[in-house]
Amino acid sequence: MTEGLHGFSSPRADVFPAGLRVLVVDDDPTWLKILEKMLKKCSYEVTTCGLAIEALDLLRERKDGFDIVISDVNMPDMDGFKLLEHVGLEMDLPVIMMSVDGETSRVMRGVQHGACDYLLKPIRMKELRNIWQHVYRKKIHEVKDSESHEGLEEILMMRNVSEQQSDDGYLFCGGDMTPGSRKRKDSEHNKYEEKDFADHSSVKKARVVWTVDLHQKFVKAVNLIGFEIGPKKILDLMNVPWLTRENVASHLQKYRLYLTRLQKDDLKTSSSGPKHPDINPRDATDKGSEPIKIQQNEAVSSHRTTNNLIIQNPKSTIHEVDIKGNAALQTIKPKKIITGYAAKTGISHPFESTHYSQFNSVLPTQYSWGGGFKEIQFKQENNNHSQFQVHNGCFTGLGLPAQQTTSIPSFQPPDPVIGPTWTLKQDPCTEQTSINTINNMERSPFLLQGQHCSSTTVDHQNKGVTEFNEQEFTNDALKFDYDYEYPDLWEYPVVGQGLFIV
Amino acid sequence: MAAVSQLQRQFIEYTTSLYNEGYLDDQYTQLQKLQDESNPDFVVEVVSLFFEDSEKLLNNLATALQQKIVDYKQVDSHVHQFKGSSSSIGAQRVTNVCIHFRNFCEEKNLDGCLRCLQQLKHEYIQVRNKLEGLFRLEQQILQAGGSVPMMESICTSASTMSSSGKLSA
Repeated sequence: MTEGLHGFSSPRADVFPAGLRVLVVDDDPTWLKILEKMLKKCSYEVTTCGLAIEALDLLRERKDGFDIVISDVNMPDMDGFKLLEHVGLEMDLPVIMMSVDGETSRVMRGVQHGACDYLLKPIRMKELRNIWQHVYRKKIHEVKDSESHEGLEEILMMRNVSEQQSDDGYLFCGGDMTPGSRKRKDSEHNKYEEKDFADHSSVKKARVVWTVDLHQKFVKAVNLIGFEIGPKKILDLMNVPWLTRENVASHLQKYRLYLTRLQKDDLKTSSSGPKHPDINPRDATDKGSEPIKIQQNEAVSSHRTTNNLIIQNPKSTIHEVDIKGNAALQTIKPKKIITGYAAKTGISHPFESTHYSQFNSVLPTQYSWGGGFKEIQFKQENNNHSQFQVHNGCFTGLGLPAQQTTSIPSFQPPDPVIGPTWTLKQDPCTEQTSINTINNMERSPFLLQGQHCSSTTVDHQNKGVTEFNEQEFTNDALKFDYDYEYPDLWEYPVVGQGLFIV
Repeated sequence: MAAVSQLQRQFIEYTTSLYNEGYLDDQYTQLQKLQDESNPDFVVEVVSLFFEDSEKLLNNLATALQQKIVDYKQVDSHVHQFKGSSSSIGAQRVTNVCIHFRNFCEEKNLDGCLRCLQQLKHEYIQVRNKLEGLFRLEQQILQAGGSVPMMESICTSASTMSSSGKLSA
């Protein structure tokens, strides 16, 4: 087993699961020490971290340096669930959550946010021994879907190794494996073997792994042109030859969802996120000028399944705003999947549809965004600066230059800023902004946010955008996955405006 | 040699009582199992970390409950942390007080919280003293040239110990 704690070690498939590179994140020093020891006893390669931000930095630094992440749910600097989503989105690594609290709702949240397992403290060695299955499982699925020969080889190697070991006991196991469980694993391997071989021959849709680099390119492109334009344009901008429109579209979805989730979490935890005094989420439903976030919370309940977040919006009708500036509204039925990423970025839930319809109706009149918005915006920026810092930590990794991130409070502030903007502008804004964004990098991120804020009339196009753009919200705003279906441009602006079209 | 076996017997009896009285639970046994030649002081190190952390948490709790307007969420979060760390070394009684404490936090019952804090302090000090006593015994055994009996065997033979008085290592 390689003890490359500080170096960039590569996985050793020949001795799998020994040498599994685990990153443990826990703010409790006692547990961190115990877990480190336990994992080492399992012959895993362990790296420990006391803070979520540190962990994210580490993960970004060593892009392929880890196989799996284990994290506690309660951490001082960032919610464990947020970390979970970030990891899932940026690095696509399996994440196991831990907590001393085993309440069903918590566990459910963990699963919703994408955890592949949820362990209750006190944790036993035997539970940690088996975490390799999550890594293996992911690899299996990846190989099934893709033409990647590397992955295939790795899986075969792993399988061979485990089969060889089956008689002697597992390499990493100190002898705890009972004959019964060993047998079970063997048969499982055999099963995989047959299936995999069959699947490998038939090339399925290639599964794209969204590495940090790729994601950064994606974010840049989205910043440039915005979500509304569509995955095709984003794809073009990204200039990654092997990437397809579908890949981008689905990633976009996830991104938006993620942002929405962040928003929702922010609301829930009420720890960060802009708390704009003037905006009362509860009133959103009535006025439609309220931050979408609120509506989202009330209207949408999302359940995350594997990679997709299915949002069930009881208030199913969402009025779509005509991008062109016509206030024509279409009802959008919730059908989109929102990944937690959107929520994470703290963008007010532009992605949550629920009450957007109400927005539309009150669009022009409710907010005098022009001036007010600016104010709010700036206010938020200042207020959220610190909050944003945390997110900065998260987002910088997404490819935004450090300087940019500081100005992104937009994510945080989205509530006040985004909320109203959505209502106001919707159509003209979205389209306008997107166009503008193409021309002006700064504007784009805010497709969701900036555009909507500035105009008070439906026909107002992008007036407010400039204000926003300067905010540099855009960069961050675009970092999330948005689930929206093309060519439903409606959804986009709606989403941007805080409508999550489901 | 006689001294060693005497010390060992003492150690076993003491440990058994700690388990029986709920000061320690199986988690502590797990910690013992983790200790090996590469890390001969593992348990002591972990327990020391726990002591440090606990004292910080107890101070934070006292401060939080002394506020004019008590932030129960904050208090609850501290208790939650304490619950987590006490469960890490198997300090069962401490963990149990934490559970009651959290209930009072939910009810925003200041009186209940204050009482729990007192109880928490008490249990913490108790388990700390017990563990320190245990470590001292271990040191004595090692210094006398003996080996420290393994917890697991002690626990399982707890019932037979009194009758046979044998060491199970």
